[in-house]
Amino acid sequence: MKSLNIVLSGVGGQGIISLANVIANAVLESGGKVIVAETHGLSQRGGSVIVHVRIGDVEAPLIPPGNGDLMLSLDPIEAARYSVYLKKGSMIFVDNNITPPPLPGIKIPSLDEIVESLEKEGFDIIVVPAVDEAKKAGNPLGANIFLLGASYQTGILKEYINEEAIIDAIRKNLKKPEKNIEVFKRGKKWAEERLTR
Amino acid sequence: MAHREVLAEPGSRVVMLGNVAFARGALEYGVSFASAYPGTPSTEITEALSYASRILGGPYVEWSANEKVALEAAIGAALTGIPALASMKHVGVNVAADPLFSSAYMGVEGALVIVSADDPGMWSSQNEQDNRWYGIHAYIPVVEPAGAQEAKTAIIEAFKLSEKWKHPVILRTTTRVSHTRVIVEAGEIDIAKIKRKGTFVKNPEKYTLVPVHARRLREELVEKWEKISNDLSQNQVLNHAEGNPDSETLVVAIGLGYRYAKEILAAHGLLDNVRLLKLSAPVPLPKSLLLNEAEGREKIIFVEEGDPVIETLSKALFYDYNVRAEIYGKGTGHLKKTGELELHHVEKLLAKALELEKTYFSHAMIKPDIKLPPRPPVLCPGCPYRAVFYALRRAVGKARIRPIYNGDIGCYSLGVNPPFQMQDTIVEMGGSIGLANGMAHAQDDKVPIAIIGDSTFFHAGLPGLANAVYNRSPMLVVVLDNRTTAMTGHQPHPGIGVTARGVEGTELSIVDAAKGLGVEYVKVIDAFNIAEGEKEFYEALEYVKKERKPALIVAKGACILLALAAGRRIGVYPIVYRVDDDKCTACGLCYKAFNCPAIYSKDDGKAYINELLCTGCGECAQICPFDAFEPVDEVPPEWLRLMREAKPT
Ligand SMILES: Cc1ncc(C[n+]2csc(CCOP(=O)(O)OP(=O)(O)O)c2C)c(N)n1
Ligand code: SF4
Ligand code: SF4
Repeated sequence: MKSLNIVLSGVGGQGIISLANVIANAVLESGGKVIVAETHGLSQRGGSVIVHVRIGDVEAPLIPPGNGDLMLSLDPIEAARYSVYLKKGSMIFVDNNITPPPLPGIKIPSLDEIVESLEKEGFDIIVVPAVDEAKKAGNPLGANIFLLGASYQTGILKEYINEEAIIDAIRKNLKKPEKNIEVFKRGKKWAEERLTR
Repeated sequence: MAHREVLAEPGSRVVMLGNVAFARGALEYGVSFASAYPGTPSTEITEALSYASRILGGPYVEWSANEKVALEAAIGAALTGIPALASMKHVGVNVAADPLFSSAYMGVEGALVIVSADDPGMWSSQNEQDNRWYGIHAYIPVVEPAGAQEAKTAIIEAFKLSEKWKHPVILRTTTRVSHTRVIVEAGEIDIAKIKRKGTFVKNPEKYTLVPVHARRLREELVEKWEKISNDLSQNQVLNHAEGNPDSETLVVAIGLGYRYAKEILAAHGLLDNVRLLKLSAPVPLPKSLLLNEAEGREKIIFVEEGDPVIETLSKALFYDYNVRAEIYGKGTGHLKKTGELELHHVEKLLAKALELEKTYFSHAMIKPDIKLPPRPPVLCPGCPYRAVFYALRRAVGKARIRPIYNGDIGCYSLGVNPPFQMQDTIVEMGGSIGLANGMAHAQDDKVPIAIIGDSTFFHAGLPGLANAVYNRSPMLVVVLDNRTTAMTGHQPHPGIGVTARGVEGTELSIVDAAKGLGVEYVKVIDAFNIAEGEKEFYEALEYVKKERKPALIVAKGACILLALAAGRRIGVYPIVYRVDDDKCTACGLCYKAFNCPAIYSKDDGKAYINELLCTGCGECAQICPFDAFEPVDEVPPEWLRLMREAKPT
């Protein structure tokens, strides 16, 4: 049974659910099977969000802890929180901006501390300036798609999703499709320049 | 949200949320009437039907005032001979329980499906409740889809079952069915069917539950129950067995449990070795099917989401028929009883029962060694409730009373957290006024303050308020009129005057309702105006102290997300605020005691505003003692109007 389990995480309102929807539609376009389990309701009011995306020969909606193959995260704290869902050695693509939880008097770990703690556990963590780059491309809400582009470049998704399918899914499912396609391409390019795999 | 994919082209394959697949299935069956009260995880079913109704001109769809009314309306519709759907979250069925039980006695003419969306794990609920018990208790069959993959088929089958037996059917879904997206193939929708109207043919012997009729109907019901059980044993679409018929092991996998069992058995290469009984219509227990499949097995394993309902019923059945096997399930302690199922829990159960050595899903969890701050949901930046809580707390201090904050269910429940901690009780919808009634008479040292939202006020607040007037309960009622049912995704309600079909309805006035119920002290305040709030709350508390009667204040101010959405539609945008560094003294009041999520402290303790998060509500400018907050530009009056008057579309 072949499958790919992707954990998406971040803070309510960052576009995690629309990212999941783009991935799911791209899998459909590519002729595959996909199951996406979302967090709705309470957790959307700026709370922490996890979405489970399971591609391939699977039946159940949730990725069990220790079984995820890849994480895309729009917040380093949330990446660390949900890393329990990942297999040892998995790639984590995470934006470099921390959104501090708005609670009076709490201590916020730094990006370096988080990265170090994840590396210690053997994760392959790739810090991506997704929000900054998406802003530069004139689409501040496109960080989710930038992360998708960066991870796509590494080849981990290629077996299940072809590139045209992503472009098509963006076109059919997102507002400002052309800008998002541009962001996706920039994400790929960023990874191509930074990562040698 | 619209969920346009509910109207996907027949024959196309589309990615759909389980709830949208339910809506699609209902349309394909030909549902002609749909009522609901919003509640996670059920809401998108009705949102999608509402979208379909606007485009297709049918079916009739409504957001009802509460679940009891929604179910009563659907029963009424079904008695006219058309297929009706009533959707609600699990606790909504508690509200609707009275008509639910009666509906089984009367039966229906068209068809009636009641969606109960259960929330194991309590992702957004006050309890975990397995509503299959309702089916057993009320003699109503329960259909429970095997995952979102089966959502569309299951609701169509539920309607067919209801039509066939002229009996209501409960469709029990759970969060991981309703809120899971899968690929669904769209079928045909017959528009004439969904637009049809029924006609009521009088039949008092069936439709009036006076004892003389009810006694007869009760006999018939019990008899029918056995027949439906037999029918479910034959229903190959929902209930069937697969795998090795001669295996010593039977896995009974109910609803979503089937997906977990199947994935694990497949991973272990056991799909052809054991017998797997899929039950997607488990109530009434399909006895003959179950007995057939259970006979001669050595081990029987139950996989179900929620309570060990089917396991318990089955064990009683096995006792009666002398089936002796080792049982593994929640009831025997082999599977955890709380929260939702995950693959590793079910694998552990199967590993124990089947003595499996290898595991595929039960890896050691890797936990990075770092302390992470929690990230609970919070009131949005610019939420009117923050200003109201702030003003109310100051008024309480000034009035020198000790308050009891009887809270309720809605976004304002988040006031339970710091910095406000102004929700001392949260029980169920309407419980704020209800509990305050008791506390007003049961003790004297504190003053009960009921805090209730506008949607909740119309849902379950009115009887409590009538009681407070009647019994002269000294209490303050604060109605938070944010122009919507915000927590569940901004649905309209009776106080808004917009209906689910997008046509105009009548806008009810909370003030008139309160006055009509006899509340003598009723005032409306601007929720965003902290000074006004403080003054009015103070005066109302003085009234309660002196007159020993209820007072009611409506704090009116739109949910800021509604105002932003309304603004985007007409091109009106808020002006963000900034902090004047020279005026800010680093007192910390704004980020410690007021705590708008857009306000942060810098290293020197001075405040700064994240302009991406700021919604330009202007509340911070009112609470800063040093006048350090100011808008970066002139605030358009149109925006100030939207903050007060925006509503859902
Ligand atoms: C009986 C019942 N039905 C539905 C719900 C789901 N629910 C939770 S909060 C909420 C919204 C209440 O709206 P309102 O009182 O206007 O508060 P707001 O969210 O707008 O602050 C609803 C419907 C519930 N918890 N209980
Ligand atoms: S959704 Fe609206 S009512 Fe709820 S917290 Fe946000 S602003 Fe307040
Ligand atoms: S920073 Fe001030 S103006 Fe902006 S959302 Fe917060 S309270 Fe409102």
